[in-house]
Amino acid sequence: MPQPPPARVGVKGRDSMYSIALKMLIGDRGKYLGIIMGLTFASLLITQQSSIFTGLMTRTYGFITDTSQPDVWVMDPKVQFIDDIKPLQDTELFRVRGVDGVEWAVPLYKGLLKARLEDGNFQICNVFGLDDATLVGGPPVMLQGNLSDLRRQDAIIVNDVGANTRLSRRPKEPGGRPIPLRVGDTLEINDHRAIVVGICQVTRTFQSQPVIYTTYTRATTFAPRERKLLSFILVKAKEGQDPKVLRERIAQRTGLAAYTAQEFKDLTYNFFLKNTGIPINFGIAVALGFLIGTAIAGQTFYNFTLENLRYFGTLKAMGATNGILLRMILLQALLVGAIGYGLGVGGATLFGVAMRGTELAFRLTQELLYISAGAIVIIIIFSAVISIYKVIRLEPAIVFKG
Amino acid sequence: MNPEQTAVSCRGVTKSYIAGATKVLALRGVDLEVSMGELLMLVGPSGCGKTTLISVIAGILDHDEGDCLVFQQDLRALGQSRKTRFRGQNVGFVFQAFNLLPTLTAAENVAVPLLLLGAGRAKAIARAQEMLSKVGIEDKIRSLPSQLSGGQQQRVAIARALVHEPRLIVCDEPTSALDHDTGGRVMEVLRNTALSSDRALIIVTHDNRIFNFADRIARMDDGLITLVESQVASS
Repeated sequence: MPQPPPARVGVKGRDSMYSIALKMLIGDRGKYLGIIMGLTFASLLITQQSSIFTGLMTRTYGFITDTSQPDVWVMDPKVQFIDDIKPLQDTELFRVRGVDGVEWAVPLYKGLLKARLEDGNFQICNVFGLDDATLVGGPPVMLQGNLSDLRRQDAIIVNDVGANTRLSRRPKEPGGRPIPLRVGDTLEINDHRAIVVGICQVTRTFQSQPVIYTTYTRATTFAPRERKLLSFILVKAKEGQDPKVLRERIAQRTGLAAYTAQEFKDLTYNFFLKNTGIPINFGIAVALGFLIGTAIAGQTFYNFTLENLRYFGTLKAMGATNGILLRMILLQALLVGAIGYGLGVGGATLFGVAMRGTELAFRLTQELLYISAGAIVIIIIFSAVISIYKVIRLEPAIVFKG
Repeated sequence: MNPEQTAVSCRGVTKSYIAGATKVLALRGVDLEVSMGELLMLVGPSGCGKTTLISVIAGILDHDEGDCLVFQQDLRALGQSRKTRFRGQNVGFVFQAFNLLPTLTAAENVAVPLLLLGAGRAKAIARAQEMLSKVGIEDKIRSLPSQLSGGQQQRVAIARALVHEPRLIVCDEPTSALDHDTGGRVMEVLRNTALSSDRALIIVTHDNRIFNFADRIARMDDGLITLVESQVASS
C-alpha cells in the first residue's frame, strides 16, 4: 500500500506561517489593542504598585542607609525596628568600648521632638544627636554649611525637604509661596532655642517628618528629661575584625542587641512587613492588577481565538498540524505580552520619573522588572493555553459548517 | 477499474453521530468510486449525509465501518499528523463560505497551502499570483477578501485549492452563496482550471443550475447513495 510521501514544514514555510499568525492578530485591531491594553494595565499596575511598596519599605531604614560609617549598631534587646527607641543608660557606651575588636563606639540620640515654628505652630521632628567629638552618623550630603558647624552654639542642621515644606515660614502675602527655612533662622525645640547652621539632604524616611541633626549633648538637652536617653551605640570594628563576629561578642559581653547595618535594615524591613498593613494593601493592588489583567487579556485573547476558529479549522483542513497552530498561537501571545509588558513598565518608569522629588516613595529595581515580566508571562501562558486547548480539540470538519 | 485511475473508493462506509441522547446514522453504508479526471457531484436534500461523506473522503472525519481508500490509502489507518500531511499534499478545499483569512491579501491566502508544505514565502507568493491569473483575477492580488465580490472570493478560494497541485479537490456548495451568473462563471473556472486527467473533483451541491458541469451525479438520501447518473458535461 503506498504511503503518502513525508512532508514537513520547512523553516522558510514555518517562518511564513508565523508572519501569517501575526497578520491574523494585528489585522483584528480591536481585539489586538484590547489584549495589549489588558496586559499593559496589568504590567503597569504590578510594576508601579510594587515600586511604591519597595520605595516605602526602603524608607523605613533610610537612616541606617545614610549612616554608613559604623559596622555594628548596638541597642536594647527589645528594639524591633529603627524607630522603636528603647533608651539605654549612658554607661552602656563604656561597656561596649571595652569589648575586644571595637575600634571606636559613639552614642547616638534619636527621638521625635516638637519644634515650635515662627507662626506658633508645632511640628514633630526626627532629631538625631551625634557624638559631640566625632559627629559620626551625620547626614550624607550637605547642601549648605558644614557638619562641623554643629559645634557652634545652639546649632542644628535641617534636611532640605523639611526646610522647604513643614518647617518653612508663612508667605509674606496671603496666597504666596512659603519661605523655606534658611541658614541663620531660628527654631524653638522643646523650649530651647536652635539656630539653623546648615541644610542637608537625607534619604526620605517612612514618617516624612523633618529631620534635624545636632550634637548628642544638645539633643539630650532638647529632649524631655529622662533617666535614659542613649538610643543607639554606633560601633566601628578594628581592621581585620569581622563585624558579624564582633556583634556576637558585643551581645554576649553586654547583654545588648547588636546588629550589622544590613541585619538592622532587615530587622526594620521585616518588622514593617509583618506588623503593618503595608504589604497586604500593596499586595491586594498588585493581585488586582494581575487578576484584572489576566481577565481582560485572557478573555480578549480567547475571544480572538474563538472568532478565528473557522480559520484555524481551515488551516487544519489544509494541512496545518497542531504543532504549527500551537506555535502560531504562542507567537501571538508572546507578541502581545512583550508589547504590553514594555508599555506597562515604560508607563511605570515615566510615573516614577514624574514623581521624583515628591513625597511619593518609588523604587523600581531590576528584581521588580523580573517579577512583572514573570506575571505577564503567566498571564499570556494562561491566555494562550485556553486558546490552544480550543484549537487543538477543534475538528477540522467545522470548515464544512455553513 | 484500474486502481491507478481510482481516486476514491468507498465500500460500505458508515458514520454515526451522537446528538444529545440520540445516535444519528449519517452514513448507512455508502458505496462510491471516483475516477481521476472526473468531476462528480454529490447531490441530495439537506441532512442526507453529503457533507459527512466528503469530510470522510477528505480525511477530516473518520468513518466508523467499511473501507474508504483515497489514492489507495486508508486514511483511517494513518496517525493524526500523517493524515494532516496527507491532506496538505493531496487534497484541495473550496468552501461554501470561502473561508479566506480576512487579514491576508488574495495572494497570501492562496499561498497558505504552499507555506504549510514548506515553500519559501517569495516562491509561494509568486506561484499564488500565477494561480490568481489562471482564475482571472490577476488584478486583485493585493486585495483583502473584504475588498472582493463573492465571485472573486470564490475564485481566490479555487486558486488556493489548486495552488499546491493536489490530486483531489473537494468543494462544499461552492455556488450557493453566489447568484446564478456568478455561480456559473465560478463553475466554468473550476472545471476548466481544476479538472485534469491526474485529478478528481467532488462537488457537494443542491444547486441544480450547475448539474450540467458534472461528469457524474451521485444522488444521496438518508445516508445512502441512491442513484449514480452519468452525463456529458456542458463545458
